[in-house]
Amino acid sequence: MSNPALISLHQALKKGFQSLENNQKVWTSVLADCSPLMVSLGNLAEQSRALSNVQISNTPLRDFPDLEERLRFKLLQATDTVLGKLNEKMSSLQSVRDSISNQVFAVFQHYEQNTDSLDLLTVTERSATAPSVSDMLEWLQDAERHYRQQFLRRKTLLQTLRADDFSLLELAPKRWKSWDSPSAEDHIKDTLCKVSFFIMSQ
Amino acid sequence: MEVTSANRKCPAVTGSSRKIKDNAADWHNLMLRWEKLNEDGFTAAENITAITLTRSQSNERLLLDDPPSPPSARSLQPPLSEQPGGAAELQEECCKLQDVVHKMVAVVTKMERLMTSQRGVQDLEEFHFGPEGRNVPLFYSWSTKHFNEACGFLLASFQQELRLKQMILQEVGHTATSDLCMVYLSCWLQQPFLPPQTRLTLEALLLETGDPQDTLEALLLETGHRPL
Repeated sequence: MSNPALISLHQALKKGFQSLENNQKVWTSVLADCSPLMVSLGNLAEQSRALSNVQISNTPLRDFPDLEERLRFKLLQATDTVLGKLNEKMSSLQSVRDSISNQVFAVFQHYEQNTDSLDLLTVTERSATAPSVSDMLEWLQDAERHYRQQFLRRKTLLQTLRADDFSLLELAPKRWKSWDSPSAEDHIKDTLCKVSFFIMSQ
Repeated sequence: MEVTSANRKCPAVTGSSRKIKDNAADWHNLMLRWEKLNEDGFTAAENITAITLTRSQSNERLLLDDPPSPPSARSLQPPLSEQPGGAAELQEECCKLQDVVHKMVAVVTKMERLMTSQRGVQDLEEFHFGPEGRNVPLFYSWSTKHFNEACGFLLASFQQELRLKQMILQEVGHTATSDLCMVYLSCWLQQPFLPPQTRLTLEALLLETGDPQDTLEALLLETGHRPL
């Protein structure tokens, strides 16, 4: 454990996992804020579709000549507001992803710069409290990939939405939910548990 | 936040400006009340459509003579004649909705009174200063006519919206097509005859008549746009 390269790599790994832990909390809470917004989006799409399906002139509502236009306007306005809020949430998710990516990249850079003094035995050696360096690097990389993919999927989903494509909008909440990946989230939580002693150690 | 005379500042305001200022505060309070009623009414309307749609679906099933469940399971349920089909519940929700619409009528009646008093202020000014009205604005920049126009716009919007609500009240319990039900609910919730301009007009009215800081604080305290 007296290898200075290993000690500084351990420091970098600690920082990486601490940042992962903080960012994971932010990610979860931002994602939780998105769910009701997605439900709203689906509801609004359902309302817009119903309005398109109904011939207002054949209903008692024909007494209100400009009703359809006005209702359509209100629905579009509400949809716009929800999409605006979702966009803000996506920016938060993006900054979480960027923060994790940068941190993991920094750890890997640190490792690569010091590979000469870190032989195979050193990087695979583990103790009762500290997992091996190779394991920890792998976990960090897994987590980084998870958030990168999650962000891209959700961002793509939002970008493919169109205000006039109601079926797409109606399906959006379902598709959004389908990207939830509790196993991957659990995996990251497990990882954080596995490294908890390591993070606490001096 | 309710604007009451207790938390209103500038006690020195008197005469026409006092009247207009109080009217503006009343508009604010009435519009808050309307929003609250709208929420209550939506809950009732939602329940009504849920009940009517379930009923029409079970009627369709009877017509198709296609038992949805095996007879053994069906015999556990009371036969349809005994089962009120949510009739009592439907009645109750309809009463609730009716009650809400009645209260909305009261709100609009009060708005009409505000309009009358606003017109009175203008008539008085014409009497005092001739048909041109006063040449110095009562507050910052609006003429009395401008106040009339703003109040007239608000009143017309709410009157039309009330007509729509009354129509929905009559129809929502008798509609069995889900799309039309959805349009009724959507109309109730989205309030198509209260465009964003109504809100902006109210804000302008309050800003013109009030201490800008107080007004902004009061407006900020309210919840803004509510997504469905």
